[in-house]
Amino acid sequence: MRRLICLIALVSIPAIAAEPCGSTLGGASMRAESEHYSVVFRTVPARVAVGRAFALEAQVCAKGAAPRPTGLRVDAHMPAHRHGMNYRPTVVAEEGGRFRAEGLLFHMPGQWQFIFDLEAPGANERITKDLSLE
Amino acid sequence: MRPGVAGLLLACLLAASVTIARAQAPVAFTEPEVRRILHYGPWPQPVLRDPSNRVSGNADAIALGGRLFYDRRLSGDGAMSCAACHLPDRGFTDGRDRAYGRAALDRNTPSVWNVGFARWFGWDGAADSLWRQSMKPILNPIELAADANHVAALLRSDQELSAHYAKAFGAVPDATSADETTLVNTGKAIAAYLETLVSRRTSFDDFRDALANDDRAAAARYPVAAQRGLKIFVGKGNCVFCHFGPTFTNGEFADVGMPYFAAKGGVDAGRHGGIKELLADRFNLLGPYNDDASGAAASKTRHVALQHRNFGEFKVPGLRNVALTAPYMHNGSLATLRDVVLHYSELDEERLHADGVRILRPLHLAPQEVDDLVAFLESLTERSPTAQTGKSHPPQ
Repeated sequence: MRRLICLIALVSIPAIAAEPCGSTLGGASMRAESEHYSVVFRTVPARVAVGRAFALEAQVCAKGAAPRPTGLRVDAHMPAHRHGMNYRPTVVAEEGGRFRAEGLLFHMPGQWQFIFDLEAPGANERITKDLSLE
Repeated sequence: MRPGVAGLLLACLLAASVTIARAQAPVAFTEPEVRRILHYGPWPQPVLRDPSNRVSGNADAIALGGRLFYDRRLSGDGAMSCAACHLPDRGFTDGRDRAYGRAALDRNTPSVWNVGFARWFGWDGAADSLWRQSMKPILNPIELAADANHVAALLRSDQELSAHYAKAFGAVPDATSADETTLVNTGKAIAAYLETLVSRRTSFDDFRDALANDDRAAAARYPVAAQRGLKIFVGKGNCVFCHFGPTFTNGEFADVGMPYFAAKGGVDAGRHGGIKELLADRFNLLGPYNDDASGAAASKTRHVALQHRNFGEFKVPGLRNVALTAPYMHNGSLATLRDVVLHYSELDEERLHADGVRILRPLHLAPQEVDDLVAFLESLTERSPTAQTGKSHPPQ
């Protein structure tokens, strides 16, 4: 199945915060890493349930001298089933380098995978994070 | 007592206890299977108010909607009501393969049991609210064939309907009222009534609760064949991926290998066409008739994605009271629950999209397994007099 990438938005991502990445999110969070970036995020509500829409709050942080990302694309899919969501989330950039994505919904139990595609000058980078949903 | 004899006695006692346990609960469910089963309850679930409908849960709106649902004057020529196809004594369906209003329609009449829990409405989900869905048959030329003027005139002329309308919406629909607003409000009143159609508990619910409470004696009262069928349903059958949650549907859409063709030789695009119709609909939740100022109710409409794979997808139906709603599938082409089970047993993989969902594979069920799945599905149907006869409907 053709996997659809959900374009959240092209947003400017601020410089690396002095505080630990994700410190402004509050509450329990998940962390995903790539060579040059970290994404710390949490879902709202915290417990993702099958068939229930949820939001995602994220903070993206560049590592070392990595260029600031200029855009963020987010998707989620079920690798074993070869399909994604039925919805295309939207995102709003918030203060403190946070982003809030709306409109996510996992419509089946099983193994899902969040995909964060970071766009940066001269390089794009993909970060994934698995989530098992019963 | 010698150790050998004691050991033998202990072994006999253990064997006896296992035999008793098996007699009480002969089907062993794994922990993951139990967790999946628990997701099917508890039942009934609390009915949630629809924020897009300001009269959702309003007693006067429910009374008005209940009367209109069974009132043939709602149709353009006074010949049929909503209940002409949604017959209470047939599980709010009509027993036909495809609905028939003034002419044949392309799809099977869906039951309205538990419809208030749905996210999308209609086989293709072209409506994003129950009130919008309730307006569609009223306006369809081959169903009730009415229009806004006709509906508004009925509500103005009938004193009882007018009184309920005034209580629910704050004013009588007089000559200064916009007929379209009256039509939308009629949809909202009918939706308020439909939200009250929550099916009752079944033998499955007793079993589910017994599992939740670790009550083996109560669990053992659930027929063994149904237990075996349930194990297939949440296990190798993969049914649970779509038929998930208390209403046995994830509320979304799937291509399960049914024909694309409509009766008139055309093609039924299913969800693909439904999304296009939804987004072009001025009565959708992005429009002016949505009563939810927060915008939350419209989020699904704002975010739904039109994808190639939506072609040939149809809504995953809930399964409560399923034994009352034959024939099955969006086109009514499968006459019995056994036929439905056999469809999945002998699924034609070549028919499915090349990029289709891998969870759909022929199950190659043994005859006993087919019987067991049918027994399980039948156990999802309430056997109360109300379910069988529609005794409480129309509302008094």
